[in-house]
Amino acid sequence: MALIKADSQTIPPSPQPPMRGLPALLADLAAADPAVRRTAVRDLAGYPQAAMNLCDLLEREANSSVRAALFSTLITLHSPAVAGRLAVHLHSDDVALRNGAIEALQEMPDAVAPHLQRLLSDDDSDVRIFAVNILAVLRHLQAPEWLAAVVRSDPHINVCAAAIDGLAEVGRPESLSDLADLRRRFAGNAFMEFAIDAAMRRIRGE
Amino acid sequence: MRKTKARVLVVDDGLTMRLFYRSVLEAAGFQVEEAANGMEGCEKALAQSFELMIVDINMPKMDGYSMMRMIRDDPAARMVPAVMISTEAGERDAAQALVAGANFYLVKPVAPEDLAEVARLMAGVVAA
Amino acid sequence: MMVTLSANPAKGLAPVMTDGEYAKFCEFFYRKTGIQYQENKKYYVERRVSDRIEKTGSESFRDYFTMIRFQASGEEFQFLVNTLTVNETYFFREDYQFDALVSGILPGIAQTKQHGAPIRIWSVPCSSGEEPYSIAINILERWDQSDTWNIEIHASDIDTKILQEARGGIYSERSLARVSAQLRSKYFVRRLDGSFQICTELRDSIDFSLVNVVDPLHTRRFRDLDVIFCRNLLIYFDDVGRRETVEMFFEALAPGGFVCLGHSESLSRISSIFRPRKFKDTIVYQKPAE
Repeated sequence: MALIKADSQTIPPSPQPPMRGLPALLADLAAADPAVRRTAVRDLAGYPQAAMNLCDLLEREANSSVRAALFSTLITLHSPAVAGRLAVHLHSDDVALRNGAIEALQEMPDAVAPHLQRLLSDDDSDVRIFAVNILAVLRHLQAPEWLAAVVRSDPHINVCAAAIDGLAEVGRPESLSDLADLRRRFAGNAFMEFAIDAAMRRIRGE
Repeated sequence: MRKTKARVLVVDDGLTMRLFYRSVLEAAGFQVEEAANGMEGCEKALAQSFELMIVDINMPKMDGYSMMRMIRDDPAARMVPAVMISTEAGERDAAQALVAGANFYLVKPVAPEDLAEVARLMAGVVAA
Repeated sequence: MMVTLSANPAKGLAPVMTDGEYAKFCEFFYRKTGIQYQENKKYYVERRVSDRIEKTGSESFRDYFTMIRFQASGEEFQFLVNTLTVNETYFFREDYQFDALVSGILPGIAQTKQHGAPIRIWSVPCSSGEEPYSIAINILERWDQSDTWNIEIHASDIDTKILQEARGGIYSERSLARVSAQLRSKYFVRRLDGSFQICTELRDSIDFSLVNVVDPLHTRRFRDLDVIFCRNLLIYFDDVGRRETVEMFFEALAPGGFVCLGHSESLSRISSIFRPRKFKDTIVYQKPAE
C-alpha cells in the first residue's frame, strides 16, 4: 500500500527541540534564511524586552511572511513605544508595510491612543486618512468622539470621507448633527452626499 | 447590446465606498460583486468571471497592488480590465498602478459620472 | 445525508427576514465567523434563524438580531453558529476538494518533490475520521501516482472520545451514502449490526493524534507538510486564535504546501500570507515557495 504510517509520537513530542534563549533568538533575527528569522520572531513573542529589536527588523525586512510574523508578535508585545515605532510606517511608500502597520495598530487600542491626536493632525492628508482608518475599527470608547472631531475640523475631503465611513460603523446619535453640518459643507459633491446619507441611515438603524 | 449584464468586481475596505460603487455601477447596467480586501478580491477574481474590476489601493490584509500581482498568473483573471482607485493625486501612485496591471486610475473622491464613464469604456458596455 | 429541515406548517412559508435584513445579517455573521452566505442561501439561513427566534421567544427578527449583537455572554450567537454550521460529517463530503487534491494539488507536489521523500497530509480536526479515510480512499482510487510515493496521512482532534471513534473506524449506512458499492466492498467490512468498519489495513495506515491547534507544544512536531485539510474549525475561533492557527499552518507546511478550508470559509479576513489558488471548483491556499 502506498499509505505509510509515520512513527507515532506522544505529546509532548520527544525529543523536544530546546527553546532557544533570548541572545540566540536575537541573533537569529539576522539569519539569511527567512524561515529562521520567522521562527525567531514568533518565539520572541515571550520576550517584551525584544520589542525594539523587532521594530528595527521590521524597518528592513523584505520577506512578506517574516513581516507578517513581525506584526503578529508586535501585536502581542503591544505598548505605546511599539505603537510609536509602527506609526512611523504610516508615512512609508511601501504599501504592504504601511497597511500592515495600520492593521497592527488597529489591534492595540490602548497603545495607539496616545499617538492618535498627533497622527490626526499630521500635515500629510494620507496619514490623517490612515489614522482615521485606525480609529474606525478601534475598540476604544472615545473613537466615535474623535471621529466626530475630524468631521468637524478636518479641511480635506478624503479625510472626512474616511471619517464618515468610521462613523457609519461606530457612530452614535450624537454624531448625526456633525454629519448634517458636513453635508452642508460639501453640498453638491455627489459622493459626499451619498456617503453621509448612508452613514446617517446606518446610525439611525435603518 | 448585451443579453446578460456585465459583471464588475468592486474591491474596497470601506463599506460606504462599496455602497457607492454599487449604486453607480448598477445604474450603469452592471451586476456588482463586492470584496472587502485584496485577499477576498483575489479569491473572487479567481473563482468567478468578471468583465471589470474596481480596486482600491489601501486595504487591510492585502493591498490593491498585491492583489493585482497575485492574479497576474491566472490566465483568465489577468485579462480582466482593472481600474485602480487611490487618494494620491501625484504621479507616483499612477505609475505603480500601471506597473501592477491597472488599465485606468481614478482619484478619490470619485465622481459618479467619471466612474460610470470609465466603467462603460473598460467593459465595452453600451449604456442601458 | 444533509440535515433535514423541520417543517412547521403553522408558520407557513412567510419570509423571516427582508432582503435588507438578510444582507445585514450576512454582513454581521461574516464579520464574526468568516462564513459568507450568498443570496442563494437565504432559505437555508432563514429556516435556522426562524427556529432560534422561536426557541428564544423573540418577537421578531429585528429583536433577535439585536439580542445576538449585544448579548454579553454571546451564548445565543454561539447557538446560532452551531445551528447554521451543524455539519453531519460523512464520507466524501465536499468532494470537490478531493477532486482538487487528486487532479491538481498532488500532481503539482509530485512534480517538485524529491523522489523518496514522503508526501504528508494532515486532517485537522479529523473528528470521527470520515475526512482522513475519505482522503486516503480518494488518493488510492483516483491518483495514478499513489503507488510511487510514500504518503503519510496524519489526523488530529482535540477530543479524545472522537479520536477513539476515528481509530475504531465504524460508521453507519448514512455516513456511507456517497460511497459506491464497489468502494464499500474494497475498503469496508460490513458488520452484523449493519454498520461498516474501515478495513484494518487502512485504519492502521493513518496516524491519529490528540492535538490542540493553538498549543505550540502540540503542533511543533508537524513540519514539512504538503497538504492540510482544516474544514470548519476556524469559524469557532476568535480573531487571535484564527490568525495564530493560520500562522502555525504556515510554519507546518513545506514551501509550496496547501491549505484546504471548508466550503464558504475564507482566509481573507484572517491573513494574507497564503496565496489563493483555484483548482476546478474550489479555492485552496498555497504557501509561497521560499
